[in-house]
Amino acid sequence: MAKAAEAARQTKKEKEPALKGTLASVFLLGFFIIFSWVSVYFLFLHRL
Amino acid sequence: MAQPLEKVDRRDAKLALAHLFVAFTALALGGFAGLLQTLVRSGKFELPAGISYYTILTTHGVLLGLVLTTFFIIGFQFAAVSRTTGALSDGSRRTGWVGFWLMTIGTAMSAFFILTGKASVLYTFYAPLQAHAGFYIGLALVVVGSWVSGFAMFAHYARWRKTHRGQVSPLLAFMSVTNMVLWLVCTLGVAATVVFQLIPWSLGLTDRVNVLLSRTLFWYFGHPLVYFWLLPAYMVWYAVIPKVIGGKMFSDSLARLAFILFLLFSIPVGFHHQLLEPGISPFWKYVQVVLTFMVIIPSLMTAFAMFATFESYGRSQGATGLFGWLRKLPWSDARFFAPFVGMLFFIPAGTGGIINASHQLNQVVHNTIWVTGHFHLTVATTVVLTFFGASYWLIPHLTGRVMTKAMNRLAIIQTIVWAVGMTFMSGSMHFAGLLGAPRRSAFSTYGNSPQALEWIPYQIAQAVGGTILFIGIILILVIVINLAFFAPKGETEFPVAEAAAPYERAALALENWKLWIGLVVALILIAYTVPIIDIIQNAPPGSKGYKLW
Repeated sequence: MAKAAEAARQTKKEKEPALKGTLASVFLLGFFIIFSWVSVYFLFLHRL
Repeated sequence: MAQPLEKVDRRDAKLALAHLFVAFTALALGGFAGLLQTLVRSGKFELPAGISYYTILTTHGVLLGLVLTTFFIIGFQFAAVSRTTGALSDGSRRTGWVGFWLMTIGTAMSAFFILTGKASVLYTFYAPLQAHAGFYIGLALVVVGSWVSGFAMFAHYARWRKTHRGQVSPLLAFMSVTNMVLWLVCTLGVAATVVFQLIPWSLGLTDRVNVLLSRTLFWYFGHPLVYFWLLPAYMVWYAVIPKVIGGKMFSDSLARLAFILFLLFSIPVGFHHQLLEPGISPFWKYVQVVLTFMVIIPSLMTAFAMFATFESYGRSQGATGLFGWLRKLPWSDARFFAPFVGMLFFIPAGTGGIINASHQLNQVVHNTIWVTGHFHLTVATTVVLTFFGASYWLIPHLTGRVMTKAMNRLAIIQTIVWAVGMTFMSGSMHFAGLLGAPRRSAFSTYGNSPQALEWIPYQIAQAVGGTILFIGIILILVIVINLAFFAPKGETEFPVAEAAAPYERAALALENWKLWIGLVVALILIAYTVPIIDIIQNAPPGSKGYKLW
C-alpha cells in the first residue's frame, strides 16, 4: 500500500513540468525592478 | 471529422462590432491629436487658427484614455461572454444596445464641447478648471451607458450559473464579470464628483467647489481605471494566447485568483496619485501605498504564469536549454507577436509604476512627463498592442472573414513600428521627467532657463517617436478596415485555451461574489472613510471655476 502511494508520488513528481527557464526569467524580472527602483532612489537621495 | 468552430452569435457579433468601430474611430481622431501634441511640444511647430494645445491634449486624453478603451473593452467582453456562455438573451442584448447608444451619445456630446474649445480641462478634468456643463453631462452618459452594459453581462452570467449549478463558469466569462464589478465600484467615485459637484458648479447652481474632494473622488476612480484597461489584456494573455501558440493555460485557478486580487486591491489605492497633495494625512497616504504594493502580487503572478505557459509549450515541442523554448514560439503569427511585445513593455511599465507609488520616489517624478511616459507604456503599449493582437482574430471572427498572409505581415510590421515609436517617445519622456520636465504643458523655454533648455532634445525625440507612432496608427486602421470589410470571406476561430490541469475545487470558491464584493467594500471603507470625512469637515471655502484657455 505504502509502496503504491510512493510510486504514485514518484509519477506525479515526474509529471511536474520543468520550469527552469521560468525561474530564471522571473529572477531577471526581479533584478530589473530592483535595479530601476534603486537607481531612482539614489537620484532622490542625491537631490535631498 | 473537424469540429465546427464555436462562434459568437451573429446578433451579439453586431453589438460587439459596433463597439469596436467607435473604438477605432476614437483611435484615428485621438491619435492625430497626439501627433500634433508631440509636434507642438518639440518647439518646431505651431497649431494653426489659434487652436489651443490644451484642446488637442484634452481630445487625445479623452478619446484614447476613456473612449477607445471603454468601447473596445465592452465590445470584446460582450463577444467573450457570448462565445463562452452562449448567445445573449434578447433582453440582455437589447440592454447592451441601450448601453452602447448612451455611451455613443455621451461621447459625441463631450467631443463636441472639447472640439469647440469649451472643455480644455484635460482628461483628468481637475477642478478648479471648469468646463462647459455639456462636457460633464456627456461623460456621465458614457459612465451610465457602461453600467447598463455591465448589467447586461451580469444578467447573462447569472442565468448561466442558474442553469449550470455546481459548475465552474468559463474563465473568460468570470474575468469579464470581475472586470465589470471593478468598473462599477470604481466609477461610483467619478459619478459622484461629476453629478454632485461638477455639473451643479458648471451650471452656476453652486459658486464654489471642494477641489480636494473632487480630486480624491477622481482618483478613487482613476487608478482602478488603469486595471479596467489592463484586465481585458490579461484575459487575452491568460485565456487566449495559450491556444494561439498551440499550448495550454498554465493554471486556471491562478488566473482567477489573480483577477480576484486585482478586484480587491486596485480600488483603495487612489492616494498614490495624490502623494504630494496637501490636505490628506500622511498616515492614510501610507495605508494606500501599502495597498498599492499589494497589487504587485497578481501582476507578478501573471508574469510567472506567462513564462510558465511559454516554457511548457516550448518544452513540449522538444526545446532544450534554459531559454530554448523561446525559439519554439510562433513569432510570425501577429495574434501572438503583438500581445507578446505588449507583455515585454509591461516590464518597464510595471517597474515605473512601483517607482511612482513609492512615497519618496514619487517626489522625483510627480507631475513630470515621466508619468506620461509611464502610462504610454502601460495603456498605450501593453494594453493597446494586446487589443490590436486580439483584433486580428476577433474582427474577422465577428465579420465572417479571414486574415490574409499579407495582412498578418503588415500586422507584424505594425507591431515593430509601434515598439520603435514608443521606445523613442516614452523613453525620452521618462528621461526628460527625471530632469524635471513637466507634464500637461505646452512648449516653453521658461525664460531660457538652463534646466528647461536641457529638455528640448528629449522633446524632439518625443516628436520623432510620436510621428512613428502615427504611422503605426495608419497601419492598424488599414488592417482593421481590411478585416472588417475587404478580407476574404471565411471562418476564423475565437481561440479559447484549455487549462493544463482539470478544474480544481478552488475555482468554485473564487466565485463567491458575496465574499469578494464584501471584502472590496470593507477595504474601500477602511482606506477612504476617515480621510474623506476629514476632507469634507476641514475643507477651505472652496474654489470658483477657472477657464484658463
